[in-house]
Amino acid sequence: MNSREKEEYLREYQILKNQGKPFFPYAVVKDSAMAVITLGVIIALAIILGSGELQNKADPTTTTYTPRPEWYFFFLFELLRVIKPPSLVILATVGIPTLLLVAVLLLPFYDRNPERRPERRPIATTFGIAVIALMAYLTYLGAHAGAPDQIELKVAPAVRPGLVVANQSGCGACHKFGEAGNAGPGPNLTKVGGRLPRDAIARTLVNPTAPMPSYKALPPKKFNALVDFLASLR
Amino acid sequence: MATEPATPNGHRDGHAMKPPGWYEGETITRRRMFTGGAMALGGIAGAAIGLPAIGFALGPVFKNSKVTWQDVGPPGDFTADNYVPKTITLTSDIGEAGKSTVYIRKSNPELPGEKTGEFVAISTRCAHAGCPVRWVTAAERFVCPCHGGVYDFQGKVTGGPPVRPLDRFATRVTNGQVQIGPRFSVNSQLKRFSPRDPGEHLDGLWKYIYPKRFTTPPPQ
Amino acid sequence: MAIRVPKLPLRGNRHRQPWPLEEQEHNGEVQLRERAAELQAGIVGWVDERTGASGFLRGFLFRKVPKGTNWFYTLGSATMFAFLSQAVTGVFLAMYYDPSPTGAYDSVQHITNDVFLGSLVRGMHRWGATVMVVLIFLHMGRTFFFGAYKYPRELNWVVGVVLLVLTLAMALTGYLLPFDQRSFWATVVAVNINGTAPFIGPYLADFLRSGPEFGATTLTRFYSIHMLLIPVLIAALIGVHIYLVTKLGTTAPPWLKAELPEPLEKERV
Repeated sequence: MNSREKEEYLREYQILKNQGKPFFPYAVVKDSAMAVITLGVIIALAIILGSGELQNKADPTTTTYTPRPEWYFFFLFELLRVIKPPSLVILATVGIPTLLLVAVLLLPFYDRNPERRPERRPIATTFGIAVIALMAYLTYLGAHAGAPDQIELKVAPAVRPGLVVANQSGCGACHKFGEAGNAGPGPNLTKVGGRLPRDAIARTLVNPTAPMPSYKALPPKKFNALVDFLASLR
Repeated sequence: MATEPATPNGHRDGHAMKPPGWYEGETITRRRMFTGGAMALGGIAGAAIGLPAIGFALGPVFKNSKVTWQDVGPPGDFTADNYVPKTITLTSDIGEAGKSTVYIRKSNPELPGEKTGEFVAISTRCAHAGCPVRWVTAAERFVCPCHGGVYDFQGKVTGGPPVRPLDRFATRVTNGQVQIGPRFSVNSQLKRFSPRDPGEHLDGLWKYIYPKRFTTPPPQ
Repeated sequence: MAIRVPKLPLRGNRHRQPWPLEEQEHNGEVQLRERAAELQAGIVGWVDERTGASGFLRGFLFRKVPKGTNWFYTLGSATMFAFLSQAVTGVFLAMYYDPSPTGAYDSVQHITNDVFLGSLVRGMHRWGATVMVVLIFLHMGRTFFFGAYKYPRELNWVVGVVLLVLTLAMALTGYLLPFDQRSFWATVVAVNINGTAPFIGPYLADFLRSGPEFGATTLTRFYSIHMLLIPVLIAALIGVHIYLVTKLGTTAPPWLKAELPEPLEKERV
C-alpha cells in the first residue's frame, strides 16, 4: 500500500468511525451477551458431557493401546499418517506446520493489497477457504482413522470369528478395512470378497507377494475362518 | 563524539543541542558515565536473575545418565523364532510411568548381522513418533497403531513412515540371567548409534542433522 | 446524619445527571435520592482524584466503534472470556492437583469424584479448552476475511498469531496433566515431533522432556509451563492486543463504503 492508499483508508475509516455508536453500551452489550453464551456453552458441555472419561492410568508398557491426540490436533495427526515416505517425515512433523505458521504470521507483510472486501481479493479468499477446507478434511480423516487391530465391519455372525482372527493377525497394519487399518503398503480390502474368488484369497494368504508375510502357519480353523471372512467382504 | 558545547545551555552553531531531560548545570560526561553505569549494572542484575534460571531450565539437556543393567530372566526363557515381552524400568522412582516393554529373543545366525549366542532386545518405541508398537506373531511383524508403521522380524521398516529400524537395548548374560542395558539406535543397515529420539533418521548425512545428545551414554 | 459531600475538583461528575429526578410528593425522598447520587459521585470522585482514571475510562468506554459493527466482532472478547474461565477454573483445579507421576492421576480422580463441584470445574476447564480453540480460530478467520490485518493493524495481527500459538501450547501442556493413557502418549508423540527439528531437535526434545526419557521432572516442567509461564505471556499479550484495538479502532465491515464529501469522492481511487 502506498501512502496515498494509506491516507485514503485512514480518511474513510475516520468517517465511518464518526458515524458509529459509542463502545459502551452498544458494543459492550453484544460482547456481554456473547460472553454469557460462551460461558453458558462451557457450563452446559461440562454438565452434559461431564469431565470426560479418564482412561486408564498412564502405562508406558502397553502393547494394546492406540494413541490419539485431542480433536484440534487431528489435522496434524492425519498429516503424519498420509506422508508415508520416511525421507519426507520431517516435512510432516516440522516442515509443513512451520511453513504454515510463518505464512500466517507474515501475512500482513506480503498481502499489501488495500482492498478489503473478500469478493475483490480472489487470491486471499481462495487460499483462505482452501486452507480451512484442507484442515477440516484432514481433521475429519483423523477422527475416523481406526486402529489397525480394531477392524469393525458389519459382517454376518457366521464369519465373525474370521474378523477376530484378522484383528489378531495384524492385517490392518498394511490394509484398510473400512475405517480401520492403514492405507498401505497393501491394497484396500473392504470389498475384496467381491473382487477375488475364495480360493484366490486363500492362495494369496499362503503364497503372497512380498512384503506381505505368509499365513500358512495359522492353524487350519483360524485360516479357514479368515478366508471366509475376507470372502464375505463385498 | 561531539566536543563540549561552547555555551552553558548547549547551543552550537545556533542550533539547540539539549538532550532529553537536560537540566541546568549538567555536563555530558556525567550523563554518559551514569548512562553507562545504568546499563552495566542493569545488565549484571538481569544476568544474575536470568542466567541461573536459564541454566536451571537447560540443565537436564547436559546431564549424563547412568548405565544400569537389569535382569529379565534366564536364557532358557527365550527362543530364536519368536519374541517374548518383558517389562523393564527406564526411569526409577516414578512407579509405572518409568517402565517400558521390551521384546527379547535369541539371535539367529542366519539373519544378516547376527551372531550366535547373543540376545536381541527390541524396544517398543516406534521410530516414527514414539507410539507403542506391538509384535503380531501371526504376521511376524511389529505393528504401530498410530500412523501406519510396520517393521519386520529384525525391526527393519517394511511399511509406513518410520525413518529407521526399531531401537534396541544392549544385552549380556551375567550369573545365568539375561540382562538388559542401555538403549541404542540402529540405521537401516543395523549399524549402532547412540540413542536418538523417534523421527530422527540415521542414514548417510542425516546423522549430522540429528547429532548425538549429551544425556545418553555411548553404545555399550 | 448529614453526609458531607467533598468538593469535587474534576469536571466530569459535577455535570452528570443520570436521569432527571422525578418530582415526588415527599421532599424527603428527593433529598435522599440526591444524597445517594452525591455519595456515589463522591466516592468515584475520591478515587478519580487520586488515579486520574476517569479520562482513560471515558476514552475507553465511550470511544466510537465504526458504523456497521456486527456480531462477528464479539468473537475476540468471547475468546478472552473463555481464557478467563480457564484461568479461574485452573486456579481451583490447582488447589487439588498433585503434579507428580505417581500422584497426578489419583488427584484428578479425587477432584472428579470426591471434591464438591470438582467434576463440574474440571469439566468446565476441559471443555473450556475446546471452546477457546474454536473461538480463537473463528476470530482469526473473521479477521482474515474482513481484511482487518492490513494497514495500520499489522502488529495486532502478529500479536494475535503469537496468542494463537500460545493457546495451542497451553492445550498441549495442559493435556498431559491428568496423566492417563491418552495424555501420556499424546505428549510422547508431541515431544518426539519437536525432536525431529534439524540440528536443535534432539536438544529441544531433551529440554521439554527434562532428560532422555520421560521422568519425574517432565510432568512438573509441563505443569510449570502450563500454569505459570504461558498464562503470564498470554495475559501480557492480551493486554497489548486490546491496547492496539483501542488505539487503532476496530475495522468497519469491508463492504461498507463511507460517503465522502463531493471533492474527495472524485479523488477516490
